[in-house]
Amino acid sequence: MDWECCWGKENIRPDECQQISEGEEVLYTSRGRRILEKCVECPLFRNDLRKSGEIDSPLAAIVPFLVEGVLEQRGKLQSMVGFLDSKDREIKFLHEISLVLQTSVDLDEVLSVVMTAITAGKGFGMNRAFLLLTGKERKLLQGYLGVGPRSLDEAWQIWGEINRDDFTLKEMAKNFYQTKFNSEKVKFHDILERLTVPLAEQNHVLVRALRERKPILVENAFNNPDVDPSLARTLDVDSFLITPLISRNRRIGVIISDNCITRRPITPQDVQSLETFAFPVAFAIERASLYERLQEELLKVTAANVKLKEQQELIVKMERMALVGKITSNIAHSIRNPLMIIGGFARTLLKGAAENDPKRGYLESIVREARQLDGVLEEVLNYSDSLYPTLDSWDVNQLLSAVCRELDGKFAERRVGCRLRLGVDLPQAHIDYKQVAYCLRSILAGMVDSLADGGEIRVVSRHEAEWVVIAVEGAGKPTGVGGLESVTSPFASAREMGDGLGLAVCRTIMEKHGNILEIENPPEGGMRCILKLPIQKKEDVYGTVTGG
Amino acid sequence: MARLLVVDDESSIRLLYSQELADEGYEVVTAATAAEAVEQIGTQDFDLIVLDIKLKNESGLDLLQKIVKERHNLPVVLCTAFSCFKDDFSAWLADGYVVKSSDLTELKEEIKRVIAKKGAKPA
Repeated sequence: MDWECCWGKENIRPDECQQISEGEEVLYTSRGRRILEKCVECPLFRNDLRKSGEIDSPLAAIVPFLVEGVLEQRGKLQSMVGFLDSKDREIKFLHEISLVLQTSVDLDEVLSVVMTAITAGKGFGMNRAFLLLTGKERKLLQGYLGVGPRSLDEAWQIWGEINRDDFTLKEMAKNFYQTKFNSEKVKFHDILERLTVPLAEQNHVLVRALRERKPILVENAFNNPDVDPSLARTLDVDSFLITPLISRNRRIGVIISDNCITRRPITPQDVQSLETFAFPVAFAIERASLYERLQEELLKVTAANVKLKEQQELIVKMERMALVGKITSNIAHSIRNPLMIIGGFARTLLKGAAENDPKRGYLESIVREARQLDGVLEEVLNYSDSLYPTLDSWDVNQLLSAVCRELDGKFAERRVGCRLRLGVDLPQAHIDYKQVAYCLRSILAGMVDSLADGGEIRVVSRHEAEWVVIAVEGAGKPTGVGGLESVTSPFASAREMGDGLGLAVCRTIMEKHGNILEIENPPEGGMRCILKLPIQKKEDVYGTVTGG
Repeated sequence: MARLLVVDDESSIRLLYSQELADEGYEVVTAATAAEAVEQIGTQDFDLIVLDIKLKNESGLDLLQKIVKERHNLPVVLCTAFSCFKDDFSAWLADGYVVKSSDLTELKEEIKRVIAKKGAKPA
């Protein structure tokens, strides 16, 4: 009998069997494997089986059963291998995703991984996915992120890009996070807004999935009595899967996924895979959210700490200033009475002394020095008083005019001109009138003393952002860089600006109000004092403000 | 001739005021304590009282309140080393407020002003 198939030969040549493909060359010399893998499906073998029936072989009736059995078993085996392969891929994929989810604490990065995994062909392969998160107040289920195409054209474009780039899932997620996260949020903004549902709506299908803690596969959405028609219209798809995200007992949110482009049915396998996936996702989202809140709290605590430190420093400074004030006040008051007696009696004696009395000069010295000390005491007491400002809104131009008028006599005496240039439409400043007026008087008087006869002082007021600024400028002796600091230190002995204490008091007053006093040496010589007075009332950091 | 009562716990100040104000033409009586002042006000007529706020352990402001209550027509000029009492409500009861200084001009002018205002006889 001439057999058409090669099953009877131990070894065959390549041209003797058309069923063997490239890579299967081993079957040429392996008869048993060749029969089981190729001959049982070969049409020539079937012809040979028919022929063997014609020669009345008893095996001819049995072999077809064996062949069918082999083919059936092989089909089952292939199906199981396919199942195992898909599970193997799924496990590897979940492992990869879990690693990323476990290591990332950036909420948006975690969500990028999650949404990429759901929508990528290398992941769960759904066409589109929407993530809804429960708000901080736990009152709303709010649309947060949507991923996928909005039209068929866009779908072709996206899938074309994916094929061209051939990224791994991890790379795709990274790429999505870096380049598409925000644009996808904007793209689905309208849908995400419409997807927002109050958690109090217990019967809404999205809330129900959360409450029942299990996925809901919605089919026939447009005619499904369990589905809110507006939800079906928003998604515009007949079938979608709702997967709840629950970490321990906390309701994190839901993922809605569908195949809006391909219309591929969502299989029980899809439901099961996404349900398995949902647990680590919920955990990772919760962890990232908590980390985000922790960061926010940390920033708040750090800021509070900085403020506390500033307050502590301020308190220490204020305490020091208050102590200085108290000491100076006590000393000044203790000196005032004896000084008054000394000066007073000296004046009395001077009044009674004859014009040619040789002791008259001594008495005049005592009176002069007592008057000088009276002035110093006045300043020292003003310095102490400056620790307690009374703030109100005042017209700075009016203040400037009044102070300059007061000093008219002094200006005339020293033949010093005072040129006032007042800003128009100045807002009112929030200041202690009396004490700022004292500052100005002190600065102007000091400047007059430092000027040569016939000099000029320029006073300018203007509005600058949140301040009313007063600039006082005179061409006196330069103070020098070290001098600038020394004249604004309490009890400095710099004589360039009057009696030394003047600018120290000014600085205390200004700092106490939250004002600014800047002292500059212009390149052309002299001195420029800039007073910056706040327009807005500020929270009083020093506690209750009392009268001076 | 106006009669003044100077109330101050410092004897030197009492002496200084007595001399200076006498030179101005006033008749000056002095008191070192609040009790002494009350006694003198009760037994003599004065046109004005020059009152210190700190009288050893006593308060000149308490004495001021007592004077205003009992002799509300009797003018008082506070003369003190402290400028801060200007903002004390009690000090507003006085007719004048002068911060102590070796130059008594301001005190003298204040006394003259208050007496003129009250219509009392000038020095």
